[in-house]
This record gives sequence, C-alpha cells and structure tokens, in this order.
Amino acid sequence: MSSPDTDPVTEVILPSMGEGIAEATLVKWLKKTGDTVSKDEPLLEVSTDKVDTEIPSPATGTLLKTVALAGATVEINATIAWIGPQGADIPASLTKVTGASASKKIGQNRSTSTSNSDAHSQNLGRSNQSGFFHEGSTTTRSSPLVRKMASDLGIDLRRVQGNGLAGRITKDDLLTWQNNPTAHVDATPSVAPLLARLPTATKSGIESLEGVIVRREKMTKMRRLIAEHMVESTRVSPHVTTTFEIDLHQVVAMREKHKQAFAAREGFNLTFTPILIHAAVEAIKKFPIVNVSVDGDDILWKDSINIGCAVALGDEAGGGLLVPVIKSAETKSLVEICRALQDLAARARSKKLKPDEVMGGTFSVTNPGGWGSITSIPIINQPQVAMLGIGAIVKRPVVIVQEKKEQIIIRPMMMASLTFDHRVIDGEGGAKWLAEFKRVLENWTVEPLS
Amino acid sequence: MSTQSFDLIVIGAGPGGYVGAIRAAQLGLKVALVEKFPHLGGTCLNVGCIPTKSLLESAKTWDKLQHINDLGFEAGTPKFSWNKIMARKDKIVDDQRKGLRFLMKKNKIETFEGHARIAGKGKVSVTLADGKTTTLETRNILIATGSRVRQLPFAKSNGKGIMSSDDILFITEVPKTLAIIGGGVVGIEFASLFGRFGTQVTVIEAMPQILPSEDEETVKELSRCIKKQNVTIETNAKITSIEDKGKAGVVLTTTEGPRTFEKVLVSIGREPVTDDIGLSTIGLNTERGFIKVDLATYKTNVDGIYAIGDVIPTPMLAHTASAEAMHAAEVIGGKKPHKVHYEANPSAIYTYPEIASIGMTEKHLKEKGIDYKIGKAPFSPMAKAKIEDATDGFVKIIFEPKYREILGVHIVHARATEMIAEFSLGKILETTVDEIAHTIHPHPTLSEAIMEAAHAALGAAIHM
Ligand SMILES: Cc1cc2nc3c(=O)[nH]c(=O)nc-3n(C[C@H](O)[C@H](O)[C@H](O)COP(=O)(O)OP(=O)(O)OC[C@H]3O[C@@H](n4cnc5c(N)ncnc54)[C@H](O)[C@@H]3O)c2cc1C
Repeated sequence: MSSPDTDPVTEVILPSMGEGIAEATLVKWLKKTGDTVSKDEPLLEVSTDKVDTEIPSPATGTLLKTVALAGATVEINATIAWIGPQGADIPASLTKVTGASASKKIGQNRSTSTSNSDAHSQNLGRSNQSGFFHEGSTTTRSSPLVRKMASDLGIDLRRVQGNGLAGRITKDDLLTWQNNPTAHVDATPSVAPLLARLPTATKSGIESLEGVIVRREKMTKMRRLIAEHMVESTRVSPHVTTTFEIDLHQVVAMREKHKQAFAAREGFNLTFTPILIHAAVEAIKKFPIVNVSVDGDDILWKDSINIGCAVALGDEAGGGLLVPVIKSAETKSLVEICRALQDLAARARSKKLKPDEVMGGTFSVTNPGGWGSITSIPIINQPQVAMLGIGAIVKRPVVIVQEKKEQIIIRPMMMASLTFDHRVIDGEGGAKWLAEFKRVLENWTVEPLS
Repeated sequence: MSTQSFDLIVIGAGPGGYVGAIRAAQLGLKVALVEKFPHLGGTCLNVGCIPTKSLLESAKTWDKLQHINDLGFEAGTPKFSWNKIMARKDKIVDDQRKGLRFLMKKNKIETFEGHARIAGKGKVSVTLADGKTTTLETRNILIATGSRVRQLPFAKSNGKGIMSSDDILFITEVPKTLAIIGGGVVGIEFASLFGRFGTQVTVIEAMPQILPSEDEETVKELSRCIKKQNVTIETNAKITSIEDKGKAGVVLTTTEGPRTFEKVLVSIGREPVTDDIGLSTIGLNTERGFIKVDLATYKTNVDGIYAIGDVIPTPMLAHTASAEAMHAAEVIGGKKPHKVHYEANPSAIYTYPEIASIGMTEKHLKEKGIDYKIGKAPFSPMAKAKIEDATDGFVKIIFEPKYREILGVHIVHARATEMIAEFSLGKILETTVDEIAHTIHPHPTLSEAIMEAAHAALGAAIHM
C-alpha cells in the first residue's frame, strides 16, 4: 500500500531514560490507535524505578498500532508503537527484531503483530498483547482462554500459580486465583526468600503464615524495586558501619544567626541537611575513597562529587523513596546546595524529576533524624561505596575540657554513621573520613548568606 | 516353590491393566500381570472395541459395494461370506493378542493365567488354569478387572436365542430379524452392523432417546440415517417378557404386544467386576459394585491398592481406562503426574455415520443454566465429503459467548471419530473458537468442516 520512501512509518522506541534504567512500566497511552499526533506531543506516560515521565512522539502522523498494553513492563529500546500516514501498513522490515535487548521481551509480540486485517484480528491481537503480562523474569505458560480472560479481568498472570501440564496456567488456576488472590507463588527475586516458608491457604480461603492470619497485598512497583535494590546491595557489598558523635553547637549557632534573614531572602527555611552535605563534600575532597565505584578488580575514581540525598515521598505520593542527586556539589556554595536540595526534594515528592536528576550519584546521605532516630545505619546505594546516616540533633550534657578544666555543659549532639563497602574501604578509612566530617562541623565557619 | 514378590501386581489385562503394567515396568518396577482369560487384551480386544470395529468396517465396505455401480464401476452382484468376515475379525484380534504377548516380554512383565484374589495386605493368590493356587507378594496392587455384560434378571442370555454382546460376536449367520434391547452405544453399533447386512433390526429403548448421553441433534441425524439401514427404533418402550422358543424364535412382549424375532440382543449396559476378587478380606469400599477411588491418584481406601478402568465409576471407555492406568502407574512409580482430563475425554460411536463428541451437550448446559452459543457446519457442501461419497452429518461447536471457550463438540459423519482428537488437544490446551478458526486445515479434507464451524461460530462462515 504505502512505500516507505514516500510515506515513512516511524517506529516508536522506548527511549533510554538514563543509565541504570533498563525497563519502564507503561502507565497510560495518551493517544489511542487511529489518533493523529504531532512530533514531540506527549504520547504515553511511563514509570521507572526512578522517575515518571512522558514520552513524546518521535514523528507526526497517525498512531497506527501499539504493541504494549498499559501495565506492561517493556525494555528500553523496544518498539512500542508505529506512527505513519493513516491506513499505512507497517513494513515488515520494521517489525523484524533488531535490538538485542528488545528481542528478548517483546520480539515475539512484534513479529506476530503484523497484518491484522481480518475480522478476528482484534481478539487475537488482544490475546497476543496480554502476553506481556507473562513475560519478564519468569516465563509463564497459559492458554488462549486464560490469556483472554486475564486481559479482560486485568490479572497479571505472573502472579498466578500454574497447575496444568508443565506448569501451564489453566482456567481453573485463574479462577482460583481470582476468588482468592493469595494462592499463588510470586517468583520475583525480591520475595524469593519467602518461598521457603510460603503461607498456606486454608479451606476457607483465609491465608495464614506459620499459623498467623495474613492479608496479602501486592507491592507497588516502586516498593518492589526498592526491595530488589536493597537485597542486591547487601549481596554485592560487604557492609561495615562506624559511628561518630558530633557536637553541632557551632553549626546551630550559625543557623540561629542567619535563620530569619535566610528564610526572608530564599523563601524557604535553612535546614541542617544541606549544611551536613556541604561538610560531607569537604570530607570527601580530603578522603575521596568514599566517592569511588568498584568494577570487578578495578576502582573507578570519579572527578566530581554528586551527592544523592534520600527523600521520603510521604503518603500523598504513595510512599516510597527517591534519591535525587546534587550534581558537582564540590563546585557549589552552601546556599547553592540549599537551593538545589530544596528544589529536588519538592520535585521528587511531586514526581516531577527528570531521569538524569536521580542518576549519577557518587555518595549518598540519609537523614531520618527528623523522625527522632538517633543513629541510622544505611544500606549503600549501588554502585556507590558509602552512605552517611544522620541521627537526630539532641541536646546532651557533655564533658568539655576548656583551659585544662573539665566541665559538663549542654551541647546539641548528633550521631553520624558511615556505612562503607569493605571491599575498598577499611575501618581506618571510614573512621578517618568521619573524623574529618566531624572536624569540619565542629569548627564550622561557612556563612549561608555569603 | 518360594513365593515371588513384586513391586506391583496388576489384576486384569484389559486396556487398563496391560497399559498400567507397561508404564510401571518402564518406570523400573518389577511387575506381574494376572489375567483369568487365556488371552490378554480384556473386553476391548477380545469382545469389545476391536472385534466390533472390524465387523463394522466390513459393513461399511459392504454398503459401498452395493452402490459400486454409482461410483463408476461395473461389478457383478456383490456377495459376502459371513464366515470370512468373522475370520478376518478373529485374525485381527489374534494379531493384537500376539502383539500384547510380545509387549509383556519386551517390558519384562511376568504374566500369570489365572483368577486373582487379594488375600491380605500385599498378598495376591492366583488360582491357575490347572487348578493349583500360587500366592504372590507385592508392595502395590492395581485392580483393573473391568466390567462384564449386565443381564436382564428375567431373561439371562443363553447364547442361543437370547444373546449378549459377548455371544453375538461369534454368531455364525446373519439373523433375519433381531431385537436389540437397549439403545446405548453397544446396542446401536450392533443395530447399524446387522441392519446393513440385511437384518430387520428393532431397537427397544426405555428412555425417550437412544444414546442418551449424546447431543440430541447428532442423535437425530444418526437416527435419520440409520433408519435407511433396516433399523427401527422404539423409544419409551417397556419389555414385559422374553421367551426363547428355540427354533421358533424368541417371543418378546412389549407395550406394543408380543412379537417374534430370530434373535434378541440384550445390551442394557455393563457392570463392574468386583465380586470375586477378595475385596472384603481387606475392607475395600465399593459403591453400587464400583470401586471408590481418589481421582487424583486412583488410590482406594486401602493403602497400596489402586483401581482404574471400567471397575471405577468413570466413563466405561478403553482410552479412559488406559489414561487412568498410566496415571496410577506413575503415582505408584513415585511420579507426580498431571490429573486425567475427564472434561477432554472424547467418546466415539462407530455407527454409519459415526458420532464423536467431547464435553457438554446442549441439554447439560440448559440443565446447568450455562449460557452458550453454537457454531455449526454441515458436510454436504464440502468437496471432500462429495469425493468420499459421505455428505451426511455436521460439526457442531458449542461455546461460551464471552471468551468463546469450547464447551462441547459434536460431530456426526462417516469419519467423525478420526476428527475429534483435534478437540481433545484443543480442550486440554484451553483453546477457544478463535484459534480453531485460525488454524489452517488442509484442503480438501473433511476436517475443513471443523474450521468452517468455528468460522460460523464467529459469525463468518465462508462456504455457507
Ligand atoms: C461390544 C463393546 C464395544 C466396545 N467398543 C468400545 C470402543 O469402540 N471404544 C472404547 O473406548 N471402548 C469400547 N468398549 C468399552 C471397552 O471395552 C472398555 O471400556 C474397556 O475394555 C475397559 O478396560 P478395562 O481394562 O478397565 O477392563 P476390561 O477390558 O474389561 O479388562 C478386564 C480384564 O480383567 C480380567 N479379570 C477380571 N477379574 C479378574 C480376576 N479376578 N483375576 C484375573 N483377571 C481378571 C478380565 O478377564 C478382563 O480381561 C466396548 C465394549 C464393548 C462390550
């Protein structure tokens, strides 16, 4: 019908959203098949472990076909749709599997999704597409009937236990699961350790784990990814933590002095976290071993200091946690760090971060002190090698030696814990870094309004 | 003689027993097979599926020969020799028996000819053909004693005027008149057989429909065709007496009054063989004579004793017995086999035309209040049906309207039984009508009617 020379059909590829993002979940198509779109107009929303974002259309034309349903997880570089002149055929050459990464997940669907012009293509197309539900970490065998039903009922077949021949999910399995979405084995890595002591469904359909009645709830995507990352980090890095107690009276005094003027000028409060980040950057400059990555037998020394700062998203944002990154923090003044953090945290909570703003961190900080925690021992944010955990600033009686005289006075004290990767940092290295961090804070001189 | 001991003793060498024995031997078990009849193969091979199908094939050939001139041949008046037709049947049966002997040897299964009785836990005593008794020890027992002809209490078959299916398979002449009591599968197959060889057949059925478990529409089509084969069907009929008057024939009295037939075939069903196998010595549970088992494992209520085939209350079919037997053998051999798919268990009736079906009938669905739709295609417009000179019949697919799951398939055609397996696979794989419609069927074949019925189901038949 249409020749590619005159009427080009453009493949919509799920674009790279930055390093470390291998796949994305399609949240919503903003255009339907048959709709016209112009180049750069938002086409769909995707969600990754790091950001939610809109994917713009790469071309102007009609959305001819989409091959991934909302809810599907698709690899970066996979073809997700075609755009071209209305009624154009999708050239066979474009439906050939090319990208190696793409072929694994949706290659099959791509090759079966061509030329659907007969009366029943809609039905077949749907059952093909529902195949997405059972691609992924565990391949799932099912049946045409089950795929139709699952796509209609919105059931992710990866969650359903197959009891048919060779583990095939049968209609009975699907109905059993639908009536009691508990009698399943989820083989995703994050919950794999639980397999050893799986809950059992009782006759009445109530589930219990070692005799305790339980209610089952699916993890959100973010929760699942956090779980995976945490398990992965503890597997990769031998974690060691060392803790120092730090006297913040200089810092508190400085903050008291500038608090009002700062708020008036900047429009937000001067908080401790950016001050602590600034101090951490100073300590990293002196002991850059905490700012490296490990690649096999190699150590990767980095030429900038990018500080990731854990931001809890809060219940309104659906919970979870993001770690936006203050880039090149070694070049920033204290007030610049304050502004950067203020901006990133606000956008993290509204999920407005750009993909590259959650990537490239070289060292991370977490501060649960605000909730009253006095020490916090973090898990390293891979591929970094160290993370600083900040405790609450608490007024304590401390023994101070002044002019050779010991006396007890009240000081704002803070516990700082550095978790580091023992592959590259030994106890001495961790302690030296924390000692420097402490020295900077206890001898604070930087003014925020300069 | 020291007692022999086995991992498994199989009692009965029908399509249940011998298949179970082979599968168990394949899994490395030491297996014995006990059969009281001098030949292996059970009902199916000796007095069931195989001899009947052999004779029915002869009837089909005979039928064709009578129309041979319409097909372009110039043959004289065709004749048949009943003796030779029977000899052909016997030869097929004998060949298969020999094949079974070979299979037992090949799989190192020790066979005993004799009547087996369970003598206690792990003990089977066998009364051998010469009257001696030997006791075998075993870890497991598989009961596959099958079924036997059910007799009318007031008119037991005598092998002369009043016959059972066992007897009529050895009848030396084609009778002029034959009354068949019971319009089940066995009765109707014999009606179609003798009717085509010229016997005036009267089928007397107590129910409102012959073949009561089949779909009403296929039965109607068969009834229409079978009437042209010298067969009269009487439904809702009641027999009050039967009297064998020797040379004068058999007087059969129904609500219609007394009538005389040369022979009467009593085919009112079959009953499980459980009475003389020592069940009470071990306290094994039965229900109406059938052995009760767990259908996931075929275990009885007694440890180490399993039962399969006609002796348990599942469909009395040879392929069902074999499927159950393989499953039970695998359980005994320590495997975890997948359960037998009873909902995908086909049934086959070798009349002319044949009926083959799987799954539910319209009547079942109505009774259960299940919503359904139908896709149907007749064979009459199809080229291959014309080529084969067999245009009677149709394919009827009953499906669930929303996801188009296949609920039942009913085929009536001269070669229906060769076509139903597509749906056995289809049902196991939970195929919907869509996939059947999109499956390319070779042209020209009869199987195209299946594809056409699926297209009709989707509202887009091509050739109608
Ligand atoms: C006329 C006719 C036609 C049929 N046609 C078909 C058909 O076309 N397709 C189909 O699927 N089915 C057909 N069947 C049904 C089929 O024959 C049975 O379902 C099948 O044979 C059952 O197999 P089984 O192994 O359970 O039992 P059987 O085949 O009955 O075998 C049981 C065996 O156990 C032996 N036995 C019993 N008790 C003892 C004991 N105490 N010690 C030792 N041995 C013992 C018996 O002698 C027998 O050989 C037909 C049946 C009949 C009668």
